[in-house]
Amino acid sequence: MLRIDRRSAQNFDWLLLGLTVVLVGMGLANLWSATHSGPGGMAPEVRRQLTALAIGTMALVAAVAVDYRHLQRLAMPAYVATLVLLLLTLVLAPVIRGSQGWLVFGPVRIQPSELARVGAVLVLARWFARNPPSQIRQLRELWKPAALLVAPVTLIVLQRDMGVALLTLLVGTTFVVFVRIPARAWAGVAALGVAAFAGLWSFGLRDYQRGRILDFVDPGRDPLSSGYQAIQSTIAVGSGGLFGKGYLEGTQTQLRFLPTQHTDFVFSVLAEEWGLIGSFVVLGLFIALLLWGLVIARNSKDNFGAFLAVGCVALLFWPAAINVAMVLGLAPVIGVPLPLFSYGGSALLANLATIGLLLNVSMRRYMF
Amino acid sequence: MLGNLGSGLDPHVERRVTWLSLLVIVAFSIFGLRLFQLQVIQGEALRLRSERNRIRTVRLEAPRGQILDREGRPIATTRAAFSLQAIPAEVRQPDVTWPVLAELVGGEAGALRERVEKPRGRRRFQPVDLVGDLSRDALARVESHRYALPGVTTDVRPRRLYVDGEFAPHLLGTLGQVRESQLKTRAFADYRAGEVVGQSGIESLLEAHLRGRAGGRNVVVDVAGREVEVLEEVEPEPGGSVVLSLDWDLQEIARQAYRRESGGVDRAGAVVALDPRNGDVLVLLSSPGYDPNDFVGGIDTATWRSLNDNPRRPLHDRVLSGQYPPGSTYKPIVAAAALEEGIANAETRVFCPGHWKLGRRTYRCWKRAGHGWVDMQKALVESCDVFFYEIGRKLGIDRIAYFARGFGLGRKPGIGLPQEKAGLVPTTAWKLARRGEPWIGGETISAAIGQGYNLVTPLQLAVATATLANGGTQIRPRIVLRRTDRDGRILEVTHPEVRGTAPVALEHLERVRDGMIGVVSSPRGTGHAVAVKGLEVAAKTGTAQVVGLQHTEDLDEEEIAEHHRDHAWFIAYAPAKAPEIVVTVLVEHGGHGGSAAGPVAGKLIQAWWDKKQAALAPAESPTLEDGSPEPVVTADAVVEGEGDRAAN
Repeated sequence: MLRIDRRSAQNFDWLLLGLTVVLVGMGLANLWSATHSGPGGMAPEVRRQLTALAIGTMALVAAVAVDYRHLQRLAMPAYVATLVLLLLTLVLAPVIRGSQGWLVFGPVRIQPSELARVGAVLVLARWFARNPPSQIRQLRELWKPAALLVAPVTLIVLQRDMGVALLTLLVGTTFVVFVRIPARAWAGVAALGVAAFAGLWSFGLRDYQRGRILDFVDPGRDPLSSGYQAIQSTIAVGSGGLFGKGYLEGTQTQLRFLPTQHTDFVFSVLAEEWGLIGSFVVLGLFIALLLWGLVIARNSKDNFGAFLAVGCVALLFWPAAINVAMVLGLAPVIGVPLPLFSYGGSALLANLATIGLLLNVSMRRYMF
Repeated sequence: MLGNLGSGLDPHVERRVTWLSLLVIVAFSIFGLRLFQLQVIQGEALRLRSERNRIRTVRLEAPRGQILDREGRPIATTRAAFSLQAIPAEVRQPDVTWPVLAELVGGEAGALRERVEKPRGRRRFQPVDLVGDLSRDALARVESHRYALPGVTTDVRPRRLYVDGEFAPHLLGTLGQVRESQLKTRAFADYRAGEVVGQSGIESLLEAHLRGRAGGRNVVVDVAGREVEVLEEVEPEPGGSVVLSLDWDLQEIARQAYRRESGGVDRAGAVVALDPRNGDVLVLLSSPGYDPNDFVGGIDTATWRSLNDNPRRPLHDRVLSGQYPPGSTYKPIVAAAALEEGIANAETRVFCPGHWKLGRRTYRCWKRAGHGWVDMQKALVESCDVFFYEIGRKLGIDRIAYFARGFGLGRKPGIGLPQEKAGLVPTTAWKLARRGEPWIGGETISAAIGQGYNLVTPLQLAVATATLANGGTQIRPRIVLRRTDRDGRILEVTHPEVRGTAPVALEHLERVRDGMIGVVSSPRGTGHAVAVKGLEVAAKTGTAQVVGLQHTEDLDEEEIAEHHRDHAWFIAYAPAKAPEIVVTVLVEHGGHGGSAAGPVAGKLIQAWWDKKQAALAPAESPTLEDGSPEPVVTADAVVEGEGDRAAN
């Protein structure tokens, strides 16, 4: 059962793989431009991203090879492993740029919070497969999955990475779309959420985090610091116009108005150099990928497959949506990378493994 | 075999997946609309902005707060310095730019080029600093060749200026670039690499107050890199000022006393002047000093090496961290202890034949011929060792230590700087713990005249003298009088602080103080040389042995190699009956206290006295000379003024 039999091979999802390959290719080309500085050579970021791509491809192959139904048994160990990595990070990692997100093994630096999301999706898919959500009508029945989700989120909050913590929370929360809990219960949750936010605002957030939210509400508030990023990003996107300024020709990009244009603001590079047309192409490819992922969920022959596929779509959708919203000035500046585009090895690896899982569910849809 | 895990998809789940598809479509539609709005509707406007948007963010450094003396005279201030930078990406003709620039500002073309081009990567549009402090001539040369030097810019920044370089470098401290290791700590969380911070002294102690807050400016630049338009500007906030207790005039007098005329290195030593009533530090000098201006922009290797390798160790803060045996300046404390413990009184007499025996060992008095019959007054005035051998033996080391601590010895004076040392007050317990050996009776004998294990810093000895002078109150030296904002509004005042009381009755202190008055007033007194006309001064001399007496006792002072000569101490206060100033002077390798250190203290007290007299004299009829068109002067006021003048 660890091999890919002929029937699975016949059902291999070439469309999904094709979409992935095109997006990865565009992502690399875009990263080249974002890190390009004068003539001569490949930026070290591009080289590292290529290495991550090689490793990510292996992860993808591995994620395809094992029948996803066996992954039910691997879900818990994988989840626990990611928690251990998060804990290790908290204990060992030096503080890099204000948050402790990295774990360093010699030349290898990994960001366990990226992997932890995948682990959380695996255990949550397993839990909902065993506890059919159509029968869940009361909030308290959700305490177990809530606990499974809160554990990694808490550890990520302790690393002071609020953006990724929020992202993990959103990915996990996606599953509640399946439960049948009445609206007034959710109203209670919403009230609780507002209260929690008020509390967090007063006591939990650091000054710069409050500042970023205020900057979003009013980007001109402090034009020299974080509001600056939002303004420059909007200028970069808008100045791209309909057709863009051309590859490697974006003035905002090449003059580096955005310090994190190769990570969080990588989409602004694309929008500036390729214009509305290029942006629509990339967003269109993303929509196709995500909707196809949901089709895979619907076609899945069991609940675990469906939930796993939905989780994988959530893993790609939420960062993409938050990141693009941020670049377009529709969301506050929080450090969330754009899947397959932003520089970052751990994220690329996790994204490719996620797509591998989708391929896995897709090709085994007829196996009975 | 896997079939039991699930059998077909729940239609409910299928329905809800459709909801998710709608969510994806709605979210991305919003993005599409927003892209359309930005890129098509506002596209033209934003494109124009991006073309104009050759914006550079320039950091505006905050001028560091001033450090002032007690009368508001600036000791450390800021001046405008011109700096030279290059923007790597805009240096389009490196083969021309670097040689021309090297010619204009001095230096080597290759070195300049390397400095700018080495850090490759995404910093290519950030200015790289080339020269931090450009002379006006060099600036003029660069400006006139500006068009030949695209990518090269100049900038004005505030830079720390120590008005009189060597004024009090050890106290003020130095500035330097924030260290890598500091950047990692919480205290430096909002600093950026390359920023200048106080690395020692007051500069470091009050860093947060002095630093101010950097501002910034977004400027539009043209092709040549010149600023065309300022878009936004956030003004820097200058740092707050600090008013020190130091008195510029007195500090200067102290410095002059150590200066070598012929351009040699200044003599080594330390001077402290305190106000014993409130702890104000009027003079705090460690000599030789150095010029902290050399450190501001990063010190060059040659200067650093010459400072570091100098045998007189100018970087060493003698006044706070130099520890020396107190010598005979310890005797007033031992005398006070003996009086308080009832071991001696005014009538106690000891015969000094010039030496004293304990067991088989003989201890000498500094006066080989002996002082004859000595009472406490004479013992202090003439600094007779034998008298103190006798009462020291009776007191024992632990009782001496108890009183020494009461005067503030053996603990840090509490000025707040990290280099402060606590000295050493030996006890039997200390020796057992530190050396693992019991205390030997003979060691008490050396300790009683301030030799042996005893160690004090000049500031400590000043605190002890102040305690003696003010009637037994151990006071914390106050160096910072107040902190103000840049406009002089007071933010915080340092209040005088009492740290303890010497356990000695006032009448006993009086007895010791009478002896110290005799040191100056008596013709046989060891400190006779410092007498100031019209002012009663109390003092005590001291000699801290550098090498064992046996090697040098047969030689004249002039014949001993300088670095083997003893250190000279002098402590004094005035006016003797109501002290307002305490002076402690140390001259390293100065020989005897009275001859080497005494004159320094004498000059300081004289200067202080002259200044006080001048301040007390009536102002020259200000009501008549202030130029007001209608002088409103009552007859009474005029008479009063004349009366005052007559009285002087």
